[in-house]
Amino acid sequence: MKYFIKILFPLFTILVFSSMAWAEEKIPVFPTTPIDVYTIYTSLAVFWLAIIGLIVVIKMKLNEIERIQKLGIDREDNKAPLLD
Amino acid sequence: MIWLKCKNWIEERYDIAELKKLAKSKLVPQHCYDFLYYTGGITLFLFILQFITGMLLAFYYIPHVDFAYESIIDIVTKINIGWFFRAVHHWGAQLCIVFVFIHLFGTLLTKSYRKPREFIWVTGFVLLVISIFFGLSGYLMLWDERAFAAVRVATGGAGNLPVVGNFIKIFLRGGTDVTGDTLIRFYAFHVAILPVLSLLLIGLHLLFVQYHGMSIPVSIEKKEHKEEPFFPNVFYKDMMIWLVVLGVVVTLAILLPPEIGLKANPLAPPPEGIKPEWYFLFMLETLKLFPGTIYGFNGETIAIVCVSIGIFFFFLIPFIDRKSMRGEKSPIFTVIAIVFLLYFITMTLVGFLS
Repeated sequence: MKYFIKILFPLFTILVFSSMAWAEEKIPVFPTTPIDVYTIYTSLAVFWLAIIGLIVVIKMKLNEIERIQKLGIDREDNKAPLLD
Repeated sequence: MIWLKCKNWIEERYDIAELKKLAKSKLVPQHCYDFLYYTGGITLFLFILQFITGMLLAFYYIPHVDFAYESIIDIVTKINIGWFFRAVHHWGAQLCIVFVFIHLFGTLLTKSYRKPREFIWVTGFVLLVISIFFGLSGYLMLWDERAFAAVRVATGGAGNLPVVGNFIKIFLRGGTDVTGDTLIRFYAFHVAILPVLSLLLIGLHLLFVQYHGMSIPVSIEKKEHKEEPFFPNVFYKDMMIWLVVLGVVVTLAILLPPEIGLKANPLAPPPEGIKPEWYFLFMLETLKLFPGTIYGFNGETIAIVCVSIGIFFFFLIPFIDRKSMRGEKSPIFTVIAIVFLLYFITMTLVGFLS
């Protein structure tokens, strides 16, 4: 598995994408070195994990807010005595 | 401690509590079509993304006929993650126009344009036109053969409009043909004129939305419906959607980075099978439906006039739809909206597949 991620996966992606990029002598619009390709795809996976994590956190916070709103304890009590 | 000091410093000068109260008092209706409210927020988010990535690209882009193409190649190949920002800018623009269209047709189908929200429609419609012109002017920045031919066709098409067509064509091109002057002119539009106009219009659009509140579809207006505060409930939901959109834009930028063709050569014939950007395809396919001459008149001119009338009618819908104005259902305009939508999708698909 480690070998696949470290060597075979970048090799495979570089072969596929580079063959597509150089087939008609096109300008490479994406990094072509295996290490860059590997870094970019890993970063994309981490980026999505971060997004999902943030969404989960926001959703939890929203659920908590909605629970408090349902209980009605978020509203300001105008009759509450003021402490000087 | 510093945070508290800063907070106190601001609160001594500005009534933040009142602002918070105002944000919490804004209510958003909840119903089966409320997902359409988020399309406006997504468009705003994409506009912001475009501004940020555009500013970064502007550091390295050279708006000169001899260096524009080379500077883009430098951005893509030499500048650190320049390829990424260019790709994000490209896909951000595509998605922005997609969501502007979804927002527009959503507004049309739910009759959100009806009295008293006509000016929200007007500002939104002008923002759509600006977005499309953003796309066209940005496309020429690349200065490759496809961009060159597409702008030549688009500005030439505008030139077919009777009376004002020639003036528009020469004004846009900065001469009789697409040259380096056109590039400078389009650059000025893309980075100075259109951003200022769009900022003003976005401000006005949001101001009108705040003033009138969110619109409720006619079919639901009289029924009982729930409402939720904009802050923090809808704001948090907006945040979640924006994160997903950001993820989609970044993924598209990485998996499908936009290609760069050969450098534009004004003397070379246009490349075969050239197509404009997808949002112009419906117009191109409409032009193809018309013959070269109709009763001695230029077919292309008649086609452009017909399309312009159609778009102008589209723009005037809030002022024509009397039933919606009275808060009644107006099925005719629902049918018109569906016809417009189907025509746009069909012609775009035909243009894409042909």
